[in-house]
Amino acid sequence: MIARLFATLRGLLGRRRIEGEIVEELYDHLEREIEAHRSRGVSAEEARRLALRDLGGLPQTLESTRAVRATWLDTVWRDVGYGARVLRRSPRFTATALTLLILGIGSTTAIVSIAYTVLVRPLPYADADRLVFLAEQEGSGIAWPNFDDWRRRASSFEGIASSLADAVILRSGPFPQALDSLSVTADFFGILGATSFQGRLFDQSDVRPDAAPTAVLSHAFALREFGSALAAIGQSISLNSGSYTVIGVLPPGFRYMTAAHVYLLLEPQVAANYRTMQGRRNHTTLYAVGRLKPGVSVTSARAEMQNIAAALALQYPDTNKGSGVYVVPLSDRVIGDMAPTLTVVAGAVVLLMLIACVNLAGLLLNKSASRAGEFGIRAALGGSRWDLIRQLLIEQALLVFVGGALGAVVGAGMLAALVSIAPPEMPRLNEIRVDVVMLSWTTLVSGGCAFVFGIVPAIKASGVSGQLVARSGRGSARSAPALRQGLMLAEIAVATVLLSGAGLMVHTMIRLARVDPGFDPHNLQTLKFSLTGPLWPDTRKQVFYEAVVDRLRAVPGVDNAALTYSLPILGSNWWSVFSVPGKSAEHWISVGEFPNAGMVPVTAGYFETLRIPLVKGRYFNQSDTPDSLPVAIVNSSVARKYWVNEDPLGKQVRQGFPAEPFGPWRTVVGVVGDIKQEGIDRATSPQVFMPIVQLPRATAFAIVRTRGAVPLWSLEAAIHDVDRNVPVFNDRTIDQVMRASSSRRRVAMIVLSVFGVVAVLLAAIGVYGVIAQGVAERRQEIGLRMALGATAGQILRLFLRHGLLVVAVGIACGVLMALAAARSLASLVFGVTVTDPATLTAVAAFLTVVTLVACYLPARSATRVDPLEALRSE
Amino acid sequence: MNKTQLLQGTLDLLILRILELGPNHGWGISNRLQQISNDGLKTSQGSLYPALHRLEMRGEVKSEMTASENNRRARVYTMTRSGRKRLNHETEVWEAFALSMRRVLEEGR
Repeated sequence: MIARLFATLRGLLGRRRIEGEIVEELYDHLEREIEAHRSRGVSAEEARRLALRDLGGLPQTLESTRAVRATWLDTVWRDVGYGARVLRRSPRFTATALTLLILGIGSTTAIVSIAYTVLVRPLPYADADRLVFLAEQEGSGIAWPNFDDWRRRASSFEGIASSLADAVILRSGPFPQALDSLSVTADFFGILGATSFQGRLFDQSDVRPDAAPTAVLSHAFALREFGSALAAIGQSISLNSGSYTVIGVLPPGFRYMTAAHVYLLLEPQVAANYRTMQGRRNHTTLYAVGRLKPGVSVTSARAEMQNIAAALALQYPDTNKGSGVYVVPLSDRVIGDMAPTLTVVAGAVVLLMLIACVNLAGLLLNKSASRAGEFGIRAALGGSRWDLIRQLLIEQALLVFVGGALGAVVGAGMLAALVSIAPPEMPRLNEIRVDVVMLSWTTLVSGGCAFVFGIVPAIKASGVSGQLVARSGRGSARSAPALRQGLMLAEIAVATVLLSGAGLMVHTMIRLARVDPGFDPHNLQTLKFSLTGPLWPDTRKQVFYEAVVDRLRAVPGVDNAALTYSLPILGSNWWSVFSVPGKSAEHWISVGEFPNAGMVPVTAGYFETLRIPLVKGRYFNQSDTPDSLPVAIVNSSVARKYWVNEDPLGKQVRQGFPAEPFGPWRTVVGVVGDIKQEGIDRATSPQVFMPIVQLPRATAFAIVRTRGAVPLWSLEAAIHDVDRNVPVFNDRTIDQVMRASSSRRRVAMIVLSVFGVVAVLLAAIGVYGVIAQGVAERRQEIGLRMALGATAGQILRLFLRHGLLVVAVGIACGVLMALAAARSLASLVFGVTVTDPATLTAVAAFLTVVTLVACYLPARSATRVDPLEALRSE
Repeated sequence: MNKTQLLQGTLDLLILRILELGPNHGWGISNRLQQISNDGLKTSQGSLYPALHRLEMRGEVKSEMTASENNRRARVYTMTRSGRKRLNHETEVWEAFALSMRRVLEEGR
């Protein structure tokens, strides 16, 4: 490779030297010739003239001698120059072709780069294919004692570690600050195969009972807090109520599932029974990750884990009965539910690329058809077939090269734009960059397409006898009509697929927008705050709640305010089994399910703030105090399910299993309407509300109903007025929450719609081109027919009949393809089936109209042909 | 064999014949050509140089820039072994051709 490069370079340098020598050689010849003439007594001037004449002119001889020396490189260079001139001379063709290439290459590179990074590229951990994610069931975590038993008993793994995503309070600076933390077992980093950037990561010495508390920092946080990774090592930081020594910093960009600022050890938290971690029923957000032994498959590991879970269920029937195990490759868990969106988007862009290629093909076909005359003349003048093909190859390589380069730039821009609008929960966003392999592939594909559709007809054309073309005058040989109609059909079919996908997503978004959330979601601002540690006994929390609500209500522009443990739409933070009097455990086992509901501690005023309607009884009010009767409000779902034909008011509920109750019996004092607690696209779920003063929580959300814009700082200031040491974070409006919850679908809708519209446009242009070309080629025939008495209607029918057939077949194929591809949208659509006949019919009808117009316009121009003129031009 | 090829081949042959006598530069060859042909086989000097370079590209002659009188450099051509082979071969072809032509032309006279 390098040797070849050097040889070429030497050739280039040598060529310059040789050219100079040719000049020198010819000068030498001239001087000798002049001397010879002079010695015969010819005047100086005459001698010069004779010498130049005999040489046949200096520049001419120089050029012809140099031509002998010319290499293939010179030839290619000359062809490039000619090709560039050809492309410059037909700017419309060049601009269209380049637009298609840039569009195709750019968007495909951007989208496929994202899809490839997120879906295909291995996770950034050592031997990531051997990492598996473990939990007790999908969508849940593990209880620590169960995790401990798993890792002791399982033999499929080199090790199993666990991690708990959490928030800690950094106590430095003027205000306490909430940090994202990940608490991990000591072997966690070893199992992931992560290495430190500075210092060291956790090991078993850090979990000895006498060990000092240690922390590992993310690279970004170390930089922010200490200026450099190295400076952070050995420093101490105050988190929550303890002080930790920084022992190491992770490499830049390291993350596991979510980004974290600090990494702490999990074992001391378990020992301190933080969050009651020693209970077997507490499968919160503790997740496990295991490294499979070499050669062990996920399937066999899953089988082993199921046996272990079954054994545990026998051993601890009270807690583990019915609990299982969920084992998937870690990459499945990380990619999560973005996979269908990305697959759809990547599929859409490939289809778009296909249309762009097909249009490019049509364009090149037309181009070479209109150049048949030029090719014929060149052939007649002795240009070889190879010369012609080489010339075309170079022209197309030039197009593809420029298109590829510009496409890469556009692709990088699109990638940046897409990353910036991507849903924040999108996994692996930080790893995304323009993928050179993808760029090369798309460029290659478009190059291949240009080659096939540009060169093949040219080869055919070059075979046309020069005489024939020269005699036919214009030389517009009829250009492969079957091929072009095939391309037109493909375009229409692909446009149908894209547009029906877009139709389904638009339909979905309309359905989602029409969903009644059960409350008024607009003008609701939320803030999260945290009251952790020994400084916050329950009594102090109760006082704080009341003061904060009062202060928030006093902020100008605020209508109402309340506190809650779970924000609507975002799901319940606390699901719990509950019991009702008179129903035994056996009763519920026979029913098949213990009663359970989302438990939501709220302040008085919560329902009024959200505008959740009261169905029966009363809302919470000031009479509900820590010491008053324990009460609850249930939503309609609970009332319907557990008190059929009974009055729920005055009934009692209690958290926990009948044999294992938790908290006091609570009397139901009200029934409220159902709201979309779990997400706008989910079914409403049972909910039990209780006064937060009777059930104080460390973390809660303030939710504020505003009139117009209320500055966020005034709300934060209201909370800090009550206690300036309370960290406030995670502010957002419910509108933002709702938007974020539909972001996957919105991305799919936007991409499919944009691509769908572009596809329809391209298809329409393609159809127009095919028909217009047909009309142009058959002008004389049309003239003849009209001269022989054909009516305008007959001429119109002549062209429409054929175009319509292709359109009809194309749309039919497209509908079939759309039905086949529908399954990929299954997890994205809402309120509409993927094979929705209404959507497909609408799409088919719309495309029929568009393509009809695209057929009709050029066909109508055929009827305006002046027969005399058309015949004369023969 | 069309006309241009025939003429080109002839010129190549003449150049090789001259170089058989010893290395020479372009002007020397052109001068020699005129003497040999006695103006009967007029070749233009313009076609001499492309022919020389073509022969060199084909490896039948090699050239070297050598210092000559009064500060000039001249390209001096030397015949290679493959050039000699071609000369011998083409000479035989020519002789055979000339012989056949003479037989035909003198037959029955």
